[in-house]
Amino acid sequence: MKTFAPNQLALNLNNIHLELNSLAGSVQILKGISMKIHAGETIGLIGASGSGKTSLLMVIAGLEAISKGLIEINGKSILNKNEDQLALFRRHNIGIIFQNFHLVPTMTAIENIALPLEFSGIRQPFKIAAEQLDLVGLSARAQHYPGQLSGGEQQRIAVARAFSTSPPILLADEPTGSLDKITGNEITDLLFNLQNKYKTTMIIVTHSPELASRCKRIISLENGKVSTSNV
Amino acid sequence: MYSLCEELILGARIAQRELKAEIRNKLRNFWVFLVCIILGVAAIASVGGLKDSLQAGLKSNSKNLLGGDVEIRLSHKPISEKQLNYLKNNSQKISKIIKMRTMTRSQKSNNHRTLTELKAVDNAYPLSGKLVLNPNKDINILIGKSNEIWGSVVEKSLLTKLNAKLGDLIVIGSTLFQIRATIISEPDRIATGFNFGPSALISSTALMETGLIQPGSQTRYHYRIILPKGEKLEGWKNKIQTNHPSTRTRIRGPEDATQGARQFIKRMGTFFSFVSLTVLFIGGLGVNSAVKNYLNSKIKTIATFKCLGASESLVFKIYLFQVLALGAFGVLIGLMVGALTPVLLLSIFQDSLPIKPLIKIFIQPLLIATFFGLLSIFTVALWPIGQYCKFKPGSLFRAKTDPLSQYPKRIYLFATIVGVSLIGILCIITIEDHFFTYCFILGAILMFLILHFCARMTIKLATMLPLPSNTILRLVQSNLHRPGTVFPAITVSIGSGLSVLIAIALVQENLSDQITKNLPEKAPAFFFIDIQPNQVSNFDTAIKSIKGTRNYQRVPTLRGRIVKINGEQIELSEIPEESHWAIRGDRALTYSAKQTSKAEIVAGKWWSEDYHGKPLISLDSKLAKSFNVTVGDNLTINILGKDVKAEIANLRKINWRKLQFDFAIIFAPGTLENAPLTYMAAVEVPIKKEEELEKAATHSFPNVSAIRVRNILESASKVLYGIKIAIQGTAILTLLIGTIVLSSIMIAEHQRRLYESVIFKMLGATRPQIISIYFIEYSIVGLLTGIIAALIGSLIGWAIIEFLLQFQWVFSGEVLIYTTCISTLTVATSGLVTSWHILGQKTTPFLRND
Repeated sequence: MKTFAPNQLALNLNNIHLELNSLAGSVQILKGISMKIHAGETIGLIGASGSGKTSLLMVIAGLEAISKGLIEINGKSILNKNEDQLALFRRHNIGIIFQNFHLVPTMTAIENIALPLEFSGIRQPFKIAAEQLDLVGLSARAQHYPGQLSGGEQQRIAVARAFSTSPPILLADEPTGSLDKITGNEITDLLFNLQNKYKTTMIIVTHSPELASRCKRIISLENGKVSTSNV
Repeated sequence: MYSLCEELILGARIAQRELKAEIRNKLRNFWVFLVCIILGVAAIASVGGLKDSLQAGLKSNSKNLLGGDVEIRLSHKPISEKQLNYLKNNSQKISKIIKMRTMTRSQKSNNHRTLTELKAVDNAYPLSGKLVLNPNKDINILIGKSNEIWGSVVEKSLLTKLNAKLGDLIVIGSTLFQIRATIISEPDRIATGFNFGPSALISSTALMETGLIQPGSQTRYHYRIILPKGEKLEGWKNKIQTNHPSTRTRIRGPEDATQGARQFIKRMGTFFSFVSLTVLFIGGLGVNSAVKNYLNSKIKTIATFKCLGASESLVFKIYLFQVLALGAFGVLIGLMVGALTPVLLLSIFQDSLPIKPLIKIFIQPLLIATFFGLLSIFTVALWPIGQYCKFKPGSLFRAKTDPLSQYPKRIYLFATIVGVSLIGILCIITIEDHFFTYCFILGAILMFLILHFCARMTIKLATMLPLPSNTILRLVQSNLHRPGTVFPAITVSIGSGLSVLIAIALVQENLSDQITKNLPEKAPAFFFIDIQPNQVSNFDTAIKSIKGTRNYQRVPTLRGRIVKINGEQIELSEIPEESHWAIRGDRALTYSAKQTSKAEIVAGKWWSEDYHGKPLISLDSKLAKSFNVTVGDNLTINILGKDVKAEIANLRKINWRKLQFDFAIIFAPGTLENAPLTYMAAVEVPIKKEEELEKAATHSFPNVSAIRVRNILESASKVLYGIKIAIQGTAILTLLIGTIVLSSIMIAEHQRRLYESVIFKMLGATRPQIISIYFIEYSIVGLLTGIIAALIGSLIGWAIIEFLLQFQWVFSGEVLIYTTCISTLTVATSGLVTSWHILGQKTTPFLRND
């Protein structure tokens, strides 16, 4: 597991611009976002729909290429990397959780969790996956397909998958958005427990004030820019 | 709830709305659906149109092909003067043609000789149709005597065989002829059937000078007649048979003359009908796959309909109407293509065809193609529509994560079975050869079931094998048996076309081997005919003087015609088509005291060597079965105008395909000895001695014709090669449509694979890793499909060779390896192309919370 020293700068974004082209013309999504996030911090990213929250996560994960600016993770820039280099980067550094879970529908729960371990070449991936499954309380559902699980259970699997490689940085895009309040709270608790266990730097996009309030820092985006940032 | 009528109207209305959306979307979801229907319908319509054009052409030209309104045929001797005068008084015109096989040699060189189909004609030839020559001068001038030398017109291949050109001299019998023109087209050629050598036309007066007309010589006399005005054929025939009854003569109308050609067109039509049905069958899989893809894309819509109160039957109607409407559109385009294709092809190639086709659009094939098309669409669409309509809305919403795998309601299963049965019945009604049709239907169903079963068994095997430790290989093996795996669909679509290709390739390979390798080794090198009795001793000496000759046999022979079976006229007997050759003209007869035939006696006994009693015959057992006769029954054979009733003493099982020297009918001693006989011989000789033997046999015996078996087999081989090209072309067509169906499956897979690869990329998989997974997976699927198809194709090929054609099966590993490679390559390439396209897609649109 790659770890950062406490207070080490985990993530440095400097003047990030993201412009996407469409048939209707180019659209400025991010307009000069800068932020520094230290290792182990939990950041709640809030803002209205279309403010650029998800795009910011995509950019940090290397899933979207920025038009201008600088992104450094643990002091290393992720710019000018090709797709395969970014994939390798994600393997060892980033865990991602989505609102819609994005599990592979034709793989069982344990297979879904083992996938990133297998891609990373980690030995005994299924043993580790079983442990992760146990951590999220779903050992009994190891051989079930996502279609056979409830929304909350699917999100637990997604959480287990995201943490399976013990990534230094975890990105969560509205992890409780598809869940009811009780289940959402359970997922939130799980997330923060695991974050605390692994000392993961976590950035959560959320509309939920309760979830945002559990984060150490809240950053608000408006119209592609940081509007407020408070501790 | 709506009444049935209201539901139909509502269903149609909503279907129309959905269709409009699809049309605005340029029918992206339906291009494979349409291509499969168009190809299937066009194939059936085209084949039917071609067949009808050729048959109509044959019918309209039958008078020219026969060479008149009616033809009288007989062997050995011409009709009497009295009969000839009667014919002259009862016809507008009459033409006499004498045909025989003889050796023709170049005057320049004794080394150049060839077996020739000689035709001696009178001034009236041709009575009907046009003889086209080069130079195109009057035939009577060309074959007349000029500068004391008779003329001849020959087929171009004769010039090649004799290394001659126009103006050169050739020797036929004991007479010199000058080659004055080549034959471009002979109007009555097709009615002659298979020729052993090139044609040569000379004057009938010249024939008399050649010395070839001898007692017992294998000469055929044809009298072509133009009927008196207003006279009908049947009435005229009855008049002739009443006033001059003769069992020696055979009277043929235009229909009889073209029977061989009609049989050939019918056989080829049947074969190509099966090919077009195979295209439709595989295309049906494509339609089925396309409908599934479409319904899959409409899952949320279907679930929404149901949530809003639509009944299962209403949802069924909505989607069935859409499928049928688009299907009808596809059928229409297919019909247009199918109607125009025969017209175009025949217009381009009509000059190369032996039959002048009637080029027009025929309605019946279009109607048949329409029925097949619509019925097939209805049948293959029922199952998936029934499946998707059955599910509860909740499970439909979850379909993305839980692939649908249940059976539709029983009513849809039953309707599918009825649809399949109706297609089968339509096949039986529209294809004349019912035996082959039953085999085809059964074979198609079995092939589909076996392919599906093999795929399922392979999947089961994949689940039982231990998973490899390598991630890529583990994912590949797991993908083979995942829910919704494409392995069965690919196996059936590509496997069907491949199995057909393999079966055809193996049959063709085996036939080729038989004709070019096995038969020449086992069969005699030469058959000699028309050896006169006074030449026998010298001829034997000439043959035996050549070193290396073996198994020399010489038997007496003359020709006769079977006229009655157990006292019943042959015309009244129902003889299966495969034995019509035996009653369609004169047969070669022989007699023997000893059993010289190598065929096994399967019933009765051979007569004693010193037998002297009533006429007895030994008969081919297959003919006996066709005639429904056995030992103790009798056949009446007309020999030189005299009916001879002979009892069947024994039956022999003859395998004609081995080209052994044998006769269908062998008389016991005591019946034929006093008839004007000639002799026929057969001999084996090493290849390098063949030339020398032929020269020795024919140089001193100009009336003897030498049939070199190797040349005949080479000609057959050339015909087979032509058929091979046609057959392989059609097999490739079935593979092509299998590939189109494969593309439909890939399209269905595309979305799922795309989503999967997005997740893989997000989790850190590199592009080489993702490509490797899909490429290896598809390569394995292709390889396994190829192996399964190879097994099935081999089984079909073996059954055809062993049971239908009754040859000995020879395994060809080369064909199997070749076709397995095609399968692997096709599927792997599709996988690679799909993967490449997938990797080019952006990931983020899939990951957003939209």
